[in-house]
Amino acid sequence: MRDSAELLTAAADGDRSAWDELESRFGPRMWAVARACGLSPADAADAVQGTWLRLLQHLRNIRDPGAVGGWLVTTVRREAFLLLRKDLPVVSSSEAVTEVDPAAVVLEADDRQLLWKTVSTLNEPCRSLLQLVALDLGNRQVASRLGMPAGSVGPTKARCLEKLRTLISLQETAQ
Amino acid sequence: MINDEYFLAALRLEAGTDPIPLRVSSSSRDVWRLRLPHAVTATQEATTIRSVRADDSSHLVRFVATGLTFDLEVTEGDGLIDVAGHISPYPGEGALVDVRSPHLTLTRRITPNGHFAVTGLPPGWLSVVCHRPGHLPVQTTWVRIRP
Repeated sequence: MRDSAELLTAAADGDRSAWDELESRFGPRMWAVARACGLSPADAADAVQGTWLRLLQHLRNIRDPGAVGGWLVTTVRREAFLLLRKDLPVVSSSEAVTEVDPAAVVLEADDRQLLWKTVSTLNEPCRSLLQLVALDLGNRQVASRLGMPAGSVGPTKARCLEKLRTLISLQETAQ
Repeated sequence: MINDEYFLAALRLEAGTDPIPLRVSSSSRDVWRLRLPHAVTATQEATTIRSVRADDSSHLVRFVATGLTFDLEVTEGDGLIDVAGHISPYPGEGALVDVRSPHLTLTRRITPNGHFAVTGLPPGWLSVVCHRPGHLPVQTTWVRIRP
């Protein structure tokens, strides 16, 4: 199996199959990030497609080819936030991403599994709340399932994510 | 610092209830045909998006690359996009411009004073490419035009 840097180099040299493989490897993560940013399916589709269009124009000047996955999810997150700004009639990033978000590493398969396992160790309501959020339930549905006011779902989710962040950091420190 | 969006995205991926739709994967792969391997890319001037009409239906965007400036006036009406463009300096006899969306490319000649126009494009991603005999093509970065 070719690594990310090899795929990027091959795509830059005109290898269509390498491009398809990049999409296969990173498309699902990009979609998940766009949706996690709060985009509708239609807008998420635009953010993902726009990110691939940007990569197409930067195939030869990604600073760290091995981190192209991080570049893609960092870019799609930026595109998502631009799309969420309804005051912008023309959505455009004037410059390509140069620094990959270090936090995007949590999207790697091993880290995702660790994250999911850690959620199951949280106390209630955090455990159920984060599992329901992961199932794409809106705040009202989450509130209804957990018997809490809809207005408190957002702040509670933020606190639960903070706890999760702390636990993950402790686990990383212990390793 | 871990951004919440990445956390939530990781949880969503593990839950597996909102996979990337097949059509999104397919359209992502399909942008490959828009690749211009040797093109020079003109970047957008950061402060150049501005309204040019009182009703906010028309906007001007400027892109600059070595030697060429693209001014695009993008107008939305009835759910479609019209583009009136100007390239300076005049790229020369025989120059052509492609106005591209992911689904449609319209090719136009450039008038001797540097103008070109296309009508009826779908809203969404848009890029313009200038082809000059004897030169590498120059493409603008992609911008998304709202319906």
